[in-house]
Amino acid sequence: MKLNFKTLGVCLAAGVLLAACSEPPEIAAKAAKRPDVAPYMGADNSFMTKGWTPGNQGSWTEAINKRNQNQSEYLRVK
Amino acid sequence: MARMKFICDTERCIECNGCVTACKNENEVPWGVNRRRVVTVNDGVIGQEKSVSVACMHCSDAPCMAVCPVDCFYRTDEGVVLHDKDICIGCGYCSFACPFGAPQFLSKGAFGVRSKMDKCTFCSGGPEANGSVAEFEKYGRNRLAEGKLPLCAEMCSTKALIGGDSEIISSIYSKRVAVRESNGKYAGSNIFGWSTAYGPSGSPAPTPTPADKIPGAKS
Repeated sequence: MKLNFKTLGVCLAAGVLLAACSEPPEIAAKAAKRPDVAPYMGADNSFMTKGWTPGNQGSWTEAINKRNQNQSEYLRVK
Repeated sequence: MARMKFICDTERCIECNGCVTACKNENEVPWGVNRRRVVTVNDGVIGQEKSVSVACMHCSDAPCMAVCPVDCFYRTDEGVVLHDKDICIGCGYCSFACPFGAPQFLSKGAFGVRSKMDKCTFCSGGPEANGSVAEFEKYGRNRLAEGKLPLCAEMCSTKALIGGDSEIISSIYSKRVAVRESNGKYAGSNIFGWSTAYGPSGSPAPTPTPADKIPGAKS
């Protein structure tokens, strides 16, 4: 009987100690990777360029490609 | 779908460090961290001095993603390799794995304590809401979501550094090479870092991280 109390005590102590190593669900959820929002959805600020519609992937791609071509001086400077 | 990449034309880079300054200013990168830097070889040797602007190349098979013990990296549909600073533990494995020295850490405090990793985001922020203050404070500007390209490339005075959809920037570069050749100049047809970052020509396109494959991701 004495041994059983000792075993129980050890188990309780181990349980208390191991609880410190666990990860509460809210912390685990915070550490989970979050999906990013696609750039064609636009940005929530006043620096948006004009000429495309936020949420429309095609118009964003077209606007970015047009801007991309501006890096070619053979097209930009004539 | 666009596949975003950078090209630095070593025949044009004049080591002005404008890209470095623009990046630091646009993203308010803290002192001690340079997301982009200019490396010069054969310094002072006439005709052989070359400079190249280096940052994260957003590799097809990114070694930083492969070695991260907490799996904080993800790849967007545009092929941009980003990371979640809420998950990063600042272990530094990515900096050892990266062939371009892109991952940067702030050294702060005693005993070499490092900050969370910081690197070029191709001016496309992080997992926070596009253009939000939280995103800016952690990752800098999200210019892609504003319909712009990375500032380092857009403001490059000699257009040595060009960034954007790989097909478009490749065609711009090819035209330059052709013009140089036709003028009897050194063509400079080898693009720095591309074979390291994207593999040989004909390599398969990278696969974006699907949201439903990320454990615990919210839809």
